[in-house]
Amino acid sequence: MWRLLWADARRDRRQLLIWLVGIALVVAGSAGAVSSEFSSEQARAGLLAVALATPSLLALRGLPNGSGLGALIFFQIFAFVAVVVGLLNTFLATRHGRADEERGRRELVAAAPLRRTAPVTATLIHGTVLNAVVAAVAAGALIVNGLDAVGAAVTGLAVGVTGFVCLGFGLLVNQLTPTSRAANGIGAAFVGSAYAARAAGDALGSPDLANLSLRSAWPSWISPIGWGEQTLAFSDNRLWPLLPGLGLGAATAAAALLVQSRRDIGASLLPERRGPAASGALRGNLALSWRLQWPSLVGWVVAGALLGLLTGGLATAVADATLGNPQITDVLQSLAPGGGGDITGIFIAALIGLVVILAAAAGMQGVLRLRDEEEEGHAELVLATAVRRSTWLLDAVIVAVVSVLLVLAAVGLTASLSFLLNGDRSHARAAVSQAAAGVPAALVFVGLVALLVTVLPRFAVAFGWGLFGVAVAIGLLGALLRLPAAVRNLSPFSHVPTVPIESWTSTLLLLALTVALTALAVVAVRRRELVI
Amino acid sequence: MTGIVDAQRLVKTFGRVRALDGLDLFVQEGEVHGFLGPNGAGKSTTIRVLLGLLRPGGGSVSVVGLDPWRDAVEVHREIGYVPGEVALWPNLSGGEVIDLLTSLRGGADRGLRAELLRDFDLDPRRRARAYSKGNRQKVALVAAFARRARLYILDEPTSGLDPLMESVFRRQIERVRAEGATVLLSSHILSEVEQLCDRITIVRAGVAVETGTLAAMRHLTRTSFRVQTAATAERIADLPGVHDVRRESELLTFDVDTECLAPVLREVALSGVTGLSVAPPSLEDLFLRHYGDSGRPRSRTRV
Ligand SMILES: Nc1ncnc2c1ncn2[C@@H]1O[C@H](COP(=O)(O)OP(=O)(O)OP(=O)(O)O)[C@@H](O)[C@H]1O
Ligand SMILES: [Mg+2]
Repeated sequence: MWRLLWADARRDRRQLLIWLVGIALVVAGSAGAVSSEFSSEQARAGLLAVALATPSLLALRGLPNGSGLGALIFFQIFAFVAVVVGLLNTFLATRHGRADEERGRRELVAAAPLRRTAPVTATLIHGTVLNAVVAAVAAGALIVNGLDAVGAAVTGLAVGVTGFVCLGFGLLVNQLTPTSRAANGIGAAFVGSAYAARAAGDALGSPDLANLSLRSAWPSWISPIGWGEQTLAFSDNRLWPLLPGLGLGAATAAAALLVQSRRDIGASLLPERRGPAASGALRGNLALSWRLQWPSLVGWVVAGALLGLLTGGLATAVADATLGNPQITDVLQSLAPGGGGDITGIFIAALIGLVVILAAAAGMQGVLRLRDEEEEGHAELVLATAVRRSTWLLDAVIVAVVSVLLVLAAVGLTASLSFLLNGDRSHARAAVSQAAAGVPAALVFVGLVALLVTVLPRFAVAFGWGLFGVAVAIGLLGALLRLPAAVRNLSPFSHVPTVPIESWTSTLLLLALTVALTALAVVAVRRRELVI
Repeated sequence: MTGIVDAQRLVKTFGRVRALDGLDLFVQEGEVHGFLGPNGAGKSTTIRVLLGLLRPGGGSVSVVGLDPWRDAVEVHREIGYVPGEVALWPNLSGGEVIDLLTSLRGGADRGLRAELLRDFDLDPRRRARAYSKGNRQKVALVAAFARRARLYILDEPTSGLDPLMESVFRRQIERVRAEGATVLLSSHILSEVEQLCDRITIVRAGVAVETGTLAAMRHLTRTSFRVQTAATAERIADLPGVHDVRRESELLTFDVDTECLAPVLREVALSGVTGLSVAPPSLEDLFLRHYGDSGRPRSRTRV
């Protein structure tokens, strides 16, 4: 089993190193930026007072716990880092779980003289050690910025335990789902809902203006990310809120081991239904692309729709709280770059900005699937028929573009609906326009991965998601980190205009870039051979 | 003479691996052509070049008179293909895969599809994930045969099939042959090749080392003798074309090149023979000779 663990770790080493360096940079970078920006107690207190009065800001950021420097940093970055580490863990569980099984690698291992549970145990140890390293890296990144070592250690532990919960959950999901795609989807949805639950809990919490802190409402207490927040690192340094996380992680991991010890290889708990004897609508390559994309697209669209509904509700709260408070406007504007317009408009832009990221991810998935198709040998079947190489690529691009449009349409329509229910027609219109304004930024990623899949097939998946991660980090944290404008401008997410749109330059540039990238990909794919 | 497949001096390298090293392959319209060679010889690579899935690094290819790299789509319209490793979409049912793949080539022949499903005893409603290896292979075979093609390219098509299904497969080959189609069949199963193929090409290390009809190839092999005799072996061993002479008390065994048989028979007759068995040249010997040879293949023979 130790050999298995060793092999898993070797297989992952580059990828994990990149994640770790990324986490270290984000933590150290934001700690440094916050330290220099808010060096005075007064500046920090001012920011927190605004935040406490702004539920939507609490929802996006986290749980304020006093005006200490470390506490402010914890408030700003913990939820974001926890999401990243959570995804790292659920992906890891799938990579060494269902994905191995699907491709038949697991069978080779299972035939070796090892306990049936050995692969799961190996992944559990692998992930646990990884979370310990992540915790140490996060704590270290804070300590080198001169922050209190105890608070840094508690922050690290909170991050590590959140990761552990997601690891256990991921291991269990991998036992139950029939495919690795489903496992990754459910894992990401788990992390997303953990973030959303604590967003709701923090937004609805009761502020304590004297201590500049917040008592979260109950939804935060059902979220693993919420438990991490409740450590109140740097102010109270409590460890007991991590206990439910440790318990849940251990329980789900134990359940995964139990299922694994009783389950047939390749089997899932979800029953296999019989399929149709003939293909009804499944004719042609475009239909195939759509068929492969829609199951995961449903998840993206639902996520977009839920965030849209949230927009209307929260935006009203923002408007009430901020009437005549210029400070809040400043803070919100830093969240929606390039923003103008009224406070509700800026808030709409900030929330829909998150959905633009989801839409980009949905689109990228539609194109990057080509690489899976090729590796798994499906592309060979298709390309040996009368399907042109350029058609093969373009059909995936079409499906990806439709995915982007559907996700943004979902958020635009539900947000608009939630404003209409409040009788606010002008913001209902603004929400739809804002969603439309996000389309070009998301489409750029479709063009980007189309080109990557064509010219750098073996690296397309890693490069694509890597660049996406960097663009998201710059887009969400760029203002906070005080990155130079030149760097922030590199991220397409920095170029989503806020309605009413005054300049169309960036929109047109992004669209032109998308077309150019796709055209290059089409030219290149004509002279590209199958890469297996 | 033009062939439906004509590849000359094909070269294909993957990084530092030279998968094809000047390979020639010629298939005549209407024949069933066997394509043999040890593992890693370059059969699948050649087939992918013929389909325009890979671009050759050197040499020339024409398939149905066209360049498969440039005119891939036109070439593919004429071809039914079964890949060496059949990977199906796990969520689609067998029936969906068959219809999808045939629709991409222009649509299945309904009658043929139903007949094939019946003959191959395939349940089209199972999800591909739930099929056994042999059943996945059958899905690919039905998809290839359910639409008539001018050329069938089959890469180890019977791997995983049980003997009964192998005979169903052979009947399909006979059917398409009767209909005038051409088949390029890569295989490791000698009996299958012997039964089905008009001509064969043997590849080794990316080079075609033999090509021709089976009958002609038999001449290249050796006849093995087992002779009961008290006489010494030297006179026989000294004759030209005699190889691997061994003696176990009364039993003398040796192999003889086909063209040198007559003088050897004369010598055996004179040696006071008390028992004799002569085995005809076997295909297996031929293949083993090519498969097992160490080092670079010898000069190419065209028969
Ligand atoms: N994509 C690739 N990258 C690197 N090397 C490859 C690739 N495809 C094939 N090769 C190499 O080319 C050589 C020929 O492989 P090929 O698959 O054509 O053999 P084959 O004759 O089909 O063998 P088998 O009987 O085992 O199917 C092998 O040495 C193989 O390792
Ligand atoms: Mg092969």
